Amino acid sequence: MDRHNTVQLSRRLFLSSVAMFTVTATSASFARSLSGSLPWAPMSSDPPMQVVSGGWQFFTPQEAALVEAIVDRIVPADDLSMGGKEAGCAVYIDRQLTGAFGTSSRLYTQGPFLPGLPTQGYQGEANPAQRYRVGLASIDAFLKQRDGKTFAELQPADQDAFLAAMEAGKVDLPNGVKAPGFFGLLLQNTMEGFFADPVYGGNKDMVSWRMLGFPGARYDYRDHVSKHNQPYPRPPVSIEGSPEWLVKRS
Amino acid sequence: MLAATAGAALLAITPVLAADQADQIIRGQYQAVLGDCAGCHTRPGGKPLAGGLPLETPFGALVPPNITPDHETGIGNWSETDFRNMMKSGVGHNGVRLYPAMPYPAYTRMTEQDISNLWAYMTTVEPVSNKVEANQLPFPLNIRLAMWGWNLLNFSEASFQADPSKSAEWNRGAYIVQGAGHCGTCHTPKSFLGADQDSSFLQGASLQGWFAPDITNNAQSGLGKWSEEDVVTYLKTGVNAHSIASGPMAEAVENSTSKMTDPDLKAVAVYLKSLGSDTGNAQAPKPDEARMAAGEAIYHDNCSACHGGDGAGAGALFPTLVGNSIVAQGNPETLARVVLAGSQAVHTTGAPTTPSMPSLAWRLKDQEVADVLTYVRGSWGNSAPAVSSDDIAAVRKELAP
Repeated sequence: MDRHNTVQLSRRLFLSSVAMFTVTATSASFARSLSGSLPWAPMSSDPPMQVVSGGWQFFTPQEAALVEAIVDRIVPADDLSMGGKEAGCAVYIDRQLTGAFGTSSRLYTQGPFLPGLPTQGYQGEANPAQRYRVGLASIDAFLKQRDGKTFAELQPADQDAFLAAMEAGKVDLPNGVKAPGFFGLLLQNTMEGFFADPVYGGNKDMVSWRMLGFPGARYDYRDHVSKHNQPYPRPPVSIEGSPEWLVKRS
Repeated sequence: MLAATAGAALLAITPVLAADQADQIIRGQYQAVLGDCAGCHTRPGGKPLAGGLPLETPFGALVPPNITPDHETGIGNWSETDFRNMMKSGVGHNGVRLYPAMPYPAYTRMTEQDISNLWAYMTTVEPVSNKVEANQLPFPLNIRLAMWGWNLLNFSEASFQADPSKSAEWNRGAYIVQGAGHCGTCHTPKSFLGADQDSSFLQGASLQGWFAPDITNNAQSGLGKWSEEDVVTYLKTGVNAHSIASGPMAEAVENSTSKMTDPDLKAVAVYLKSLGSDTGNAQAPKPDEARMAAGEAIYHDNCSACHGGDGAGAGALFPTLVGNSIVAQGNPETLARVVLAGSQAVHTTGAPTTPSMPSLAWRLKDQEVADVLTYVRGSWGNSAPAVSSDDIAAVRKELAP
C-alpha cells in the first residue's frame, strides 16, 4: 500500500519526461560562448555614496543625543583614540538606518516569526529602523521613570552601569524591548561605525585604522610580501582618499 | 558551329578569369585591411562599410559614409574611375569634393594596381541600404567647393617615391606608412587648416581627445627604446613590453594592423625605426617637490597595486610606466584620459585577455590627477613635463556626458 513505490509509467508521463529531456538538451546547446573583449565601458564606476556629516536623516534630535551619548561610552575617548561621538559613529548609524540596512530591504522579512537560538541572532519582525525607534524611546522612558533623567544626563559611571545591566538582561525595558538584544545591536553598529571606511560617516580621519596600524583600502602588497617582521610603512587610505594626497606647502 | 566554338573557348577561359578575379579581390581585401576602411566606415556592431560613427574634427562633425555597393545610399553608381580619382585626388563621383578626414592625401600614394584591386573587392561587399548625411560641418565649411581651395594650398596628387638607396623592405614599409596605412593622419601634427605638417612627420598629434604619440625613432618620446620586434608585437597584438594600445590606436590594431602580414609589419617597423627626429629631447625641468610628494602618495594609493611600486608593471597585463611612450609624450592628453576614463586593451588573437584599467574620475580631483601624472612623468628615469590641473580639467570636461 506504499504509494511512493507504485508510480506507473503512464503514456503521458513518458511523453512529458521525453519532452523535458528534449528541452534540457536543447537549452544546453544554447550555452553562450563569449569571444572578443570582456564587457567594459569608459568612465564606469560604482563607488559608495560618500556620507556628508551634518544634520540627522533618521534620528530625531532627542534620539541623536541619546545615541551619541551611548556610542561615547562604548568607545570612550582615551589615550588610544577619540570617542565614538567625535569619530562619527552616530552619524554612521543614522545614515545606515535610512538605507538598505535600516529597512532590511535585502533580507527575507516575512513570517513565521519564531524565537531563535542565541546563535541565530534577532528573529523578530521589526527591521533595524523600527528597533531603534522603539528601543531608544524605551530607554528614555525607563530612565525617566527610574532616575528622572535622560541617559546623557547620567554620570559616566552610571551610564556604564546601565549599559552593563542592559547587556546582562537585568533591565526590564518597556514596550517589550529585549535589553540584551537591543544592546547587541547598538554595540554591533557602533563598532561598524568606528572601524568601517570613513566614506560611510564614522571612523573620522581613519582614527581606528591609525590606532591599529590597518593600511585601509588597498589591495596589493607585492612590494611588501617578502619583508617579514617589518611594520607596513604607508599610512592608511580611505575609499574617499587620504590627507597625504594634498600638496603640502611649508 | 561558330557559336559552339566560341562557347567552348569561353568555357575554357572563364575559370582562369575567375581565378584571377578571385585573386584580385583577395588582394583588394588586404588593401582594405592596410587602409583600415572599416575603422571609420563600419559602425561598432554594424554592417561592414555601411557607414560609421561621426568623426569629431576641429572644424565640425563628418560622418563616414556608406561605401557598400548599394545604388541608392552607397557607391553602387560609382565607376572604377570615380573610385580611382577619389583615392588619388579627393574628388569622387559627379565631381563631389571630399573632406580630407578621408585620408586621400595619404591614399594618393597608393599604386594604380592596389587601388584597382581595392575597387574589385569593394564591388563584392554586401550592399546595405543606409542613408548617411556625411557632411555635418557648419557654414561655410559645409561648402564642399571650399576643398578646391584647400587642395590648391595643401595637396597635390602624388605617387609613392621609392628610395633606391634603401632596402626593398624599407621601401615597402614607407609605402604602407605613407600610403594605405595613413599613419600620419593621426600621428602627424596638423596646420591650422588641418593639413599635415610634413616637417613634423609622425612626431605626434592631438585629435578627438587623444594624443597620438610620436612614432619616429626619437629616444625619449618615440620608438627609440623599442626594437623592431617590439614594434611588430605591438602592431600585431596591441601590447608589448613598453605599452598597451588604447583609444583609436586600439581600434586601428583590432581592425587593421593585427591583420597585416608579418613581413609587412616588419617592413613598417624597419621604416619607422629609420625616421629620425631630434625635437623634444630636452630634459624637463625638475618638478616641484611638494607636488612630487603628493603624487607619490596618490600613486601608491591608486596605481601601484597594478603598475608596481617602481612603475615596472606586470608583463602584458599591466603596462610598465618606465619609458612608456604614452607617459613620455609632451602632451598629456591621452595619459589624463586613461586615468580619468580608464582604458581596455584590444582583443587580438595574439593577446586575447583584454585587461582593463578602471576609471578613477570619481576618486581623484583634477589637482590629484595632475600631481600623480607629474610624479609618474618625473620618476624612474622618465622626464616628461609636469601636468597642470587645467590640463586635467579640460580632458574631464570633454569626457563629461
